[in-house]
Amino acid sequence: MAKPSHNEKDGIRSSAVVDGRLELVLNNRIAAIEDGRCRLVEFLADRALGDVAHHRLEVVFEELVSNIIRHGFTMHSAQSIHVRVESKPGLVEFTFEDDGWPFNPLEAKPSEPLTSIETARVGGLGIPLVAKLSATMRYERLAPDADITGFAPNNRLVVAVAT
Amino acid sequence: MEMRHDNVGDVRRVVLVGRLDTAGVDVVETRFGAAIVPNGKNTIVDLSGVTFLASMGIRMLISTTRALSRKGGRLVMFGATPGVHDVIETAALTDIIPLASSENDALGLVG
Repeated sequence: MAKPSHNEKDGIRSSAVVDGRLELVLNNRIAAIEDGRCRLVEFLADRALGDVAHHRLEVVFEELVSNIIRHGFTMHSAQSIHVRVESKPGLVEFTFEDDGWPFNPLEAKPSEPLTSIETARVGGLGIPLVAKLSATMRYERLAPDADITGFAPNNRLVVAVAT
Repeated sequence: MEMRHDNVGDVRRVVLVGRLDTAGVDVVETRFGAAIVPNGKNTIVDLSGVTFLASMGIRMLISTTRALSRKGGRLVMFGATPGVHDVIETAALTDIIPLASSENDALGLVG
């Protein structure tokens, strides 16, 4: 049973809990990061997660949504991110689908060991951090095939975080 | 995101409160650097009020510590909450920026 959102915000196109899963459609707006995070926190509130697991889930959400909006989308376009969040025994699974540029985060440059403050990398830290915080990550490049809403995702990323 | 700073003897003390996420870093990064880098003092950073840390916050900590290092100063963090501590350890940030458990320990590390 869909439970529609009552308070649409700039960053969120739609939000619902369907069969126990959180389903979000996020707009191509920086506000989507914080607006979506608030929905995630509401969804997780009843799930008795520890502080560390809760924090990891927020980090994974922030990093991946931020990465898509900053690097995968054309600025000010009507592109969107569809996020599904499902709580399973011992883990929470995110599925991110977007119609941005094809990008496989599993092919991103891995983080280099931090050996000195002078040489430490300051960019591109997000994806390696997500990889380390996640139990599994699975990427699929999708053949564009619009659904009835017109959404035709190029990327699907499934990330499981142990709880 | 809030920030305040003072001195403990010759050591600069900076207290961060809030979320070091994309929005929080945008708000505080310039003030954070300005409070620490120009005078080159050894610095301790109180993270006990930081409720969230991700890559943007890590980037801010690295870039500020690097700028301070070039002026001869050291930076030590302390007081990380469990979630923040987990990210710091996972990112191996402690390999280049020390993390102390208490303010006294942090003061001891910056000497």
